Amino acid sequence: MKKALFAVTICTGLLLAVSAPAWAHHAFQAEFDQRKPIKLEGKVTDMEWINPHAWIHIDVKNPDGTVTNWMVECGSPNIMLRRGFTKRSLETGTDIVVQGYQAKNGSLRANGSSVTFADGKKLFVGGSNPDLPENNEKKQ
Amino acid sequence: MATATAVLAMLVVIPSSGQTQATKATKAGGVHPDLGGIWEYLGTANWDLQDHPAEPGPMWQMGAIGAVPAGQSVVEGGDIPYLPAAAAKKKQNFENRRTLDPEAKCYLPGIPRANYMPYPFQIVQSPRGILFVYEYATANRMVNMGKPQEAGSDTWMGTNNGHWEGDTLVVDVTGLNGLAWFDRAGDFASSKLHVVERFTRMDPYHLNYEATIEDPSVFSRPWKISLPLYKRVEKNAQLLEFKCVEFAEELLYGQFKKQPSK
Amino acid sequence: MRRFLALVLIAVPLAAQTAKPAARTSKGYTAPKTPWGDPDLQGQWPATANIPMQRPANLGNRATLTDEELKQRETQAAQQAEGDSEEFVSSNDTVNINPPGYWVEHGKPHPQASLVVDPPNGRIPPLTPAGQAYAKSLRNGLGPGSHFPEKVDSWEDFDFYSRCITRGLVSSMLPTLYDFGNEIVQAPGYVVIRNEMIHETRVIPLDGRPAWGKGLQTYMGDSRGHWEGDTLVVETTNLNNKTGTGGGYFSDAAVLTEKFRRIAKDELTYDLTVNDPKTWTAPFTIHMPYKEDPSYKIYEYACHEGNYMMIDALTGARELEKEGVQVKVDNNNFVRKVDGAKK
Repeated sequence: MKKALFAVTICTGLLLAVSAPAWAHHAFQAEFDQRKPIKLEGKVTDMEWINPHAWIHIDVKNPDGTVTNWMVECGSPNIMLRRGFTKRSLETGTDIVVQGYQAKNGSLRANGSSVTFADGKKLFVGGSNPDLPENNEKKQ
Repeated sequence: MATATAVLAMLVVIPSSGQTQATKATKAGGVHPDLGGIWEYLGTANWDLQDHPAEPGPMWQMGAIGAVPAGQSVVEGGDIPYLPAAAAKKKQNFENRRTLDPEAKCYLPGIPRANYMPYPFQIVQSPRGILFVYEYATANRMVNMGKPQEAGSDTWMGTNNGHWEGDTLVVDVTGLNGLAWFDRAGDFASSKLHVVERFTRMDPYHLNYEATIEDPSVFSRPWKISLPLYKRVEKNAQLLEFKCVEFAEELLYGQFKKQPSK
Repeated sequence: MRRFLALVLIAVPLAAQTAKPAARTSKGYTAPKTPWGDPDLQGQWPATANIPMQRPANLGNRATLTDEELKQRETQAAQQAEGDSEEFVSSNDTVNINPPGYWVEHGKPHPQASLVVDPPNGRIPPLTPAGQAYAKSLRNGLGPGSHFPEKVDSWEDFDFYSRCITRGLVSSMLPTLYDFGNEIVQAPGYVVIRNEMIHETRVIPLDGRPAWGKGLQTYMGDSRGHWEGDTLVVETTNLNNKTGTGGGYFSDAAVLTEKFRRIAKDELTYDLTVNDPKTWTAPFTIHMPYKEDPSYKIYEYACHEGNYMMIDALTGARELEKEGVQVKVDNNNFVRKVDGAKK
């Protein structure tokens, strides 16, 4: 029995590790480059509320004064809706800080592993976390 | 009035193929026609909503196969009333339709197009709402028959709120993302698109389908299409599968493949 | 073939016995009926139960966790949830190549030790030589495409899920980290199962018509349903060989048997038996306890339409090749410290 076959098996189930979850739809490692860490600070210009993942567009001011519009990949809309957020929850012009990695193909796309307001408050946390025991009790 | 009741009684009594007994999706004691079954449109609206002559297909190597048949407009009044700037965009779409048409990419067809594509679809009339399941790309939408719900955000198949007006199912569709086309000829709208559909059962084997299209950023006024839907009456009529992503990958990604080294 | 069918029939009741006691109805519970008299299974049944597919080997033939083991998992899950609810960036936070970790739901830990409940060791049986050979033969001998492909030459290096084609019938019914909605919708003569992830929609006829002929196969197969008391039994055949589970791909002999029964107001018991003697050396059964969540809404998962990943991965690989870098996608969890922690 080949070990490799069982490695595939693990992907179809659910990992219980407390560390970073296995993103079910696709491996972000395919899309983004670990050698290109980025930190972007800018103003929201648009939010694409699409599947499989939503995208936030931000205008980032470069050191030379020019402005570049970046696309930041986020999670799936339904998860955000379950937490009580809609596409109107993030207003254009809001200052946000994104930390992640840039796309492999050098385009102005990045993932957003840490997405916060300027004061360090995380975007789209809050609302009700369905995983918290007290929020699960209603479903007993 | 008596005639209408008799017709309704006939609708209720005649069993649909594949079902044990004609169903009434009762709501608060009312009786509604059974729209359940497998339906398909037989005309050429998916090629072009407006009048169009027969035309060669995209590849001469296929000869007459894949060529475009002639068709008469399903648009009431004949023409789609584009605003001038939008008419220019439609022309551009048409010239590049082989690569721009979302259907070529196996994208979800949106509303109203899903209803007149050359693939069957099934209406499942259930207590939870009326579910439309389309064979093409397993597109589907649940029509909410309760209190209307606002669109959470824009999607390909829209947010669908339905209610009965007599024997007609009226579906109000909002929250469409403006990325789907109306046909293979490049007819389009924006995310401001608002569609109101009317499904009326004409007899056990035909539905009359009407859709009023409204998008003030693209059209100078609302316009309407009207076409019949035919029941698939084979005893074994069933939705098969048309998961077409594999057919579209070369078109979408072929240029990004690793080329064999010389 | 007949002999094998007989073996299967004997195997199924055994599986029912090793299943959790919760599979029996609560005392005095009568399942409701639809207006036309079919048992009513309708509802939103999101697959959030936190149960691994296969049982850790050290648990042996034990189908349930001990109270201690369950408590351990619950503590872990509570810690995870607390961390996910922290409103402000803390010094413990790290930046990795995925989106924020709080945009998944891990689900409630469950005493069931594994989704696989038969064979008794909770693990999928070994593949047959033919099953192994087929998987190996894919991509001209490189094996199946994957989430983490060893090269990114073409979309075929990715698995069918990453290509937004399908997860296959088995995975579509099982837990995932987001968009795990499953809705059962009924009408006379039909049961429809909607899986949110990649908008699968199985319309299952109940009229006893025969399955398709051998010349027609699909990704999700051909499902036929019938009632046995309050249990919906669904048999699926005519599966193509592009999907499967546990490293194996369905052959033309594959028969999947599912059983659905509402055992309490908000509980649906689900068993899925995979019987494919050409691919696996024995049949196996998965048990999934669904809980109803009437507040759940299925949201359109238009996967392929938004699949930036595929274009970015391919163009990225071509760019890096120009720099002489051979791209492979590995499951690295490299992290760095986050900037801007308040504490």
